[in-house]
Amino acid sequence: MRTSALLKRNLIYFWRTNLAVIAGVAIAVAVLAGALLVGDSVRASLRDLFLQRLGSTSHVVSAQNFFREQLAYEMQADGRFAADGFGATCPLIVLEGSVTHEESGRRGMDVLVYGVDERFWKFHGSVGQPPSGREILISPSLAEELKAASNDALLLRVVKPSDISIESLHGRKDDAGRTLRLTLREALPASALGEFSIRPQQTSVRAVFVPLQLLQKDLEQEGKANTVLVSAKQSETKPDSLQKILKDKISLADMGVSLRALQEQGSLSLETESAVINDALAETAHATATEMGMRVAPVNSYLANSIRAGEREIPYSIVTAIDDERFAELRTAGEPTPLILNEWAANDLGAKTGDEVTLEYYLWQPDGSLKTQSAQFRLAGIVPIKGAAADRDLVPEYPGITQSESISDWDPPFPVDLSRIRKQDEDYWRDYRTTPKAFIPLSKGQELWGTRFGKLTSMRLIPPDVSQLQTALESFQTNLRAKLNPAEMNFVVYPARAEGIEASRGATNFGEYFLYFSFFLVVSALMLAALFFKLGVEQRLREIGTLQAIGFPASRIRTLFLAEGFLLSIIGSLLGLLGAVAYGKLMMHGLSTWWVGAVGTTMLRLHISPLSLIIGAAGGVLAALLCIMWTLRTLRRVSTRSLLHGGRQEGGRGEQGNREIGKPKRTRRFLRFPLFPFSPFSLFAPLGLIVIVLAALNIINQVAGFFGGGTLLLVALLCYEWAWLRRGSGGLIAGRGWWPVLRMGFRNATSRPARSVLCISLIASAAFIVVAVDAFRRHDKDIVSDKKSGSGGYALLGESDLPLVYDANTPAGREALNLNAGQDSGELAEVSYTRFRLRPGDDASCLNLYQPREPRMLAATEDFIESNRFAFQDSLKGASDTEKANPWLLLNREFADGAIPVIADANSMTYVLHKKLGEDFVLEQSGGAEPIRLRLVASLSDSLFQSELLMSAKNFLRLFPEIEGYSFFLIDAPASVQLAALSGHLEERLADFGFDAVSTSERIAEFHKVENTYLSTFQMLGGLGLALGTLGLAAVLLRNVLERRRELALLRAVGYGQKHFAAMVIAENAFLLFSGLIIGTACALLAIAPVWFARGGRLPIASLSLLLFVVAVSGLLASIAATMAAIRSPLLPSLRAE
Amino acid sequence: MLEVANLTKEYPTPQGSLAILSDISLTLARGDAVSIMGPSGSGKSTLLYIVGALEPPSAGRVTLDNQNPFELKERELAAFRNRKIGFVFQDHCLLPQCSVLENVLTPTLVAEDDGNDAQARARALLEQVGLGERIAHRPAELSGGEKQRVALARALVMKPLLLLCDEPTGHLDHKSAEVVASLLFELHRQQETILIVVTHSSELAARFPTRYELHEQQLVKR
Repeated sequence: MRTSALLKRNLIYFWRTNLAVIAGVAIAVAVLAGALLVGDSVRASLRDLFLQRLGSTSHVVSAQNFFREQLAYEMQADGRFAADGFGATCPLIVLEGSVTHEESGRRGMDVLVYGVDERFWKFHGSVGQPPSGREILISPSLAEELKAASNDALLLRVVKPSDISIESLHGRKDDAGRTLRLTLREALPASALGEFSIRPQQTSVRAVFVPLQLLQKDLEQEGKANTVLVSAKQSETKPDSLQKILKDKISLADMGVSLRALQEQGSLSLETESAVINDALAETAHATATEMGMRVAPVNSYLANSIRAGEREIPYSIVTAIDDERFAELRTAGEPTPLILNEWAANDLGAKTGDEVTLEYYLWQPDGSLKTQSAQFRLAGIVPIKGAAADRDLVPEYPGITQSESISDWDPPFPVDLSRIRKQDEDYWRDYRTTPKAFIPLSKGQELWGTRFGKLTSMRLIPPDVSQLQTALESFQTNLRAKLNPAEMNFVVYPARAEGIEASRGATNFGEYFLYFSFFLVVSALMLAALFFKLGVEQRLREIGTLQAIGFPASRIRTLFLAEGFLLSIIGSLLGLLGAVAYGKLMMHGLSTWWVGAVGTTMLRLHISPLSLIIGAAGGVLAALLCIMWTLRTLRRVSTRSLLHGGRQEGGRGEQGNREIGKPKRTRRFLRFPLFPFSPFSLFAPLGLIVIVLAALNIINQVAGFFGGGTLLLVALLCYEWAWLRRGSGGLIAGRGWWPVLRMGFRNATSRPARSVLCISLIASAAFIVVAVDAFRRHDKDIVSDKKSGSGGYALLGESDLPLVYDANTPAGREALNLNAGQDSGELAEVSYTRFRLRPGDDASCLNLYQPREPRMLAATEDFIESNRFAFQDSLKGASDTEKANPWLLLNREFADGAIPVIADANSMTYVLHKKLGEDFVLEQSGGAEPIRLRLVASLSDSLFQSELLMSAKNFLRLFPEIEGYSFFLIDAPASVQLAALSGHLEERLADFGFDAVSTSERIAEFHKVENTYLSTFQMLGGLGLALGTLGLAAVLLRNVLERRRELALLRAVGYGQKHFAAMVIAENAFLLFSGLIIGTACALLAIAPVWFARGGRLPIASLSLLLFVVAVSGLLASIAATMAAIRSPLLPSLRAE
Repeated sequence: MLEVANLTKEYPTPQGSLAILSDISLTLARGDAVSIMGPSGSGKSTLLYIVGALEPPSAGRVTLDNQNPFELKERELAAFRNRKIGFVFQDHCLLPQCSVLENVLTPTLVAEDDGNDAQARARALLEQVGLGERIAHRPAELSGGEKQRVALARALVMKPLLLLCDEPTGHLDHKSAEVVASLLFELHRQQETILIVVTHSSELAARFPTRYELHEQQLVKR
């Protein structure tokens, strides 16, 4: 016979025990691999969801402004397009808006608006029928939300594109949106791209599809689009290829740049549709012109409300700032800046050289108000209205002004007092139109009227040969186009598919989380496996002794048992893989149902990853082997003789085996007497109490102190239990009836103290964790006026789809926004609004399962920073005392490396962005621009800002000048104001802006829901693990019974019945089970005491009690079953020697 | 040859060291057979286990074939026991999952060199103990006496120098005990082992040419 044959015999003969080992390993592997499958499944589901919604899109080209639809086809026609792996293009309009069901008034906010035609569905290879006429198609979830049916009327509100910024003097603030009344044809299913979305999101998509031509016409953008979808023929496309093709195909008009030849002036005029030339364009144009040998004359023209000299004034005049060189000789040190008037203006003012001239003008403030400013000049010259001074083309096109026939026909977006207009002013307008009446140095003009959008209104380019103006124009056009980077003109090209797939890896590692959640399940399963293996070994102690006696070296015996354990683990892991699929499926079902609060979608499906199964199986086998090796390790200390007699004896009496002789009595005493000085209990218990007292007195952090103290007391009580069991103490068991029988059962727990304490420790630890973790549960509070809380003391949070430029904190602003109507204006006057500019982006909170790549950004104004509201968790090391007192001030820090300071919520920072304080979040930019490094300088504690990052308004405007108006609001209201009424009033009055208001507590509750769901999952799976652990207890109990068969047989012989045996065994089990539960629960309640008090004594008693009740019942039932099986077998034969 | 010189064994107890064996000396040559008797708790089994290198002495020396087994490392000691010593226990200690033949072959599994005739030796031994027809049976199918005969065959399959028996007939009826005892002596004679038997049975002890008694930690020749 070979050893392998012995191995085979062992596996088959001891099949009962081996089956239990296999079951334990199978459960451990099922849970381990299953948890990993959960992670894979969530990632794969997110990926599938994103790709399904993305359709055939691979890349996206989008712009702030509208460009020719034709650009899409010019790109597609380029030879490089197909060669570099791209397939087709599809131009469309993409906007954000809101939809109202006309009949019911139900509203859908944050709606994606797509202006499409049949090309959209053709591009995606779908057979959808495009909307026509005034039809609208909507996504299924939006249809559900609006409860809309076919032929219902829907009102679609979108941002009206404006070339001129609404935050400039000439921007149309009151006409920021457009409303279209459309008829719903149908809800478009997801299979027909009804949930089309370029950005990954796991929540349902609110989307509408309207006829492209209708939208173009309504927005006055005929033949134009603002987005191009690009598909790919192969998975890998050439990087940067699309950007190069775009750069080559884009025209100046596409970028909003116009160039015209001014024959009379002998120059070219470079202008933009926004009426402002941004710095990047100015620099590139200047460089291009210089290279071509052209002279460059930058221009900044502005409308002055008044030109005043002495007692006279001229209303509403164009003033142009031109290059400083012309004023070089006119400047006099110490004197006001020189100004030149044309003859007409000088005569009208009666001004002469040297007189003081004052210009008054409107300036649009960042806070949305219009302020009148003035500047003083010295009249340095008077020029006739001819030549360069008669140039009426120095002013860009201003809608409502430049094309008017008379001043009284003006329709500007700012207040004009037409009563000031005199006949001579109208005459001037008739004869000279927009010819400037005054000229100032360019540097002064830029100082007065420059904005973040740019400091020039046009550029004059004078070619060397003015007779070849048209040729020069064409050459300059070509050269400028070649040099201009579309990215600097607000064009973005990005690989939407690749970025979305990357984001699908997720911010939350569900595999890791479920491993943590399932920790106790895995530990219990492994413990079961090890326990049954150990029991199997203990059953065969005599066999081991025999093998040793006949010459098997200990290492050979260990190898034999290890080989058995390995084979059992392999079999168990193979079965476990089947269980892993089932466990994974169950968890995915849980995430879609009971725990849907954690993920916000029911679209998660199980995906089986072979790698995860292999890792889970390998991990399970390894863990099981380690447990088995640990079990076999203890055999080293047992003598062959002891083994031959069927086992080692604990307690230190009699058989010593190979143990040391002559241990000091004091050592043994401190282990056996719990209250003996230097016993573990005597050390840990006072330490635990000291820590708790210190925490109660607030000398140390309360939560950490109570938790730490609770843990120390747990250890102390377990040590006490161990020592007490080792002493085998207890009074004389005498008397009659059931109580002495039960006491016999309790006494039996002392026969194997180590085994008993192990069981108690496992149950106590699990109970401690499951109960104590409840301390981390977030509880929703009612509206809190504490300015240092997570809500900052604000009552409402509002967001608008269209930006608001008027300040609702002022009477004029409230008037402009129509907030006063229908409400007590006195009460409304006490409502204050803290406004934030918002750069749309990815939700950075736990509500978003996708990894945010471009988080939402909010701009914190100086007033907000100074107000020092909200609770902070931590701030940057090295902060000054002032900054520590008000961490918002860190937003004004300037870092030498150019990083921009930002503040985030602590939860978002840690769990979503996976960053720490002081680390940078890198915001990638397209078009080769430098990435923006956002440095995390402080973290907020449980705040309502979990979805975004905050930076100073100054940095925000510098980095994102294109963001106009305010879209995010925190609202303070006096206690007398009914918040629901206020919220409703705001939404109604600001419906045109797509305004939505929620209470701040509601917003924070949304975040809490996710965290609490994770905790519930942990507690549920932890409780399951605990229940499984009680099976181990039953196994121990069964072993104890089998070991004591002879004793039980003797009791039977002297008249004990089966009920007595059952009572003794159940009493022993109950002792172990309840000792563990009581010790663990009591210490846990102590650990979470401060949290308990903070909640006013509220604890989820019902759920915790249910959890512990289930554990207790399952433990008792398992032990009863095991006991019955053991006791039913015949005992009397055990009294015989054989 | 087996030499035991000044063997002492003590066990620590809460009340102090408990002496079990005190200054025992013994010399046996191949072919010698001795019985050791004594009251319960006198240390008979202890002496047997020390001589069989299963337990170390507190003091003194044991050599078998000029080798002190307690000077060997664990692996060498195991090999020493495998080659030189055969054990028969009161409880036979058969492996329940193995057949009769397999039980007898168990020591050969770890033998450094079993001479390639282990199976033949095992079968022959089983024939000799009268279980030639039962080689495929499991221990559960045997009577107590039959199990002890298998244990005896197992103890001799490696042709040991020293054969130690701890109450080999203690759990057997008179007839079975007689059979086992006869086999014991016969096989001992054939293989010329040094035979030491610890027994309560005066009848069995009487069959030995040399008899000892353990009395007050001392080995006294009777």
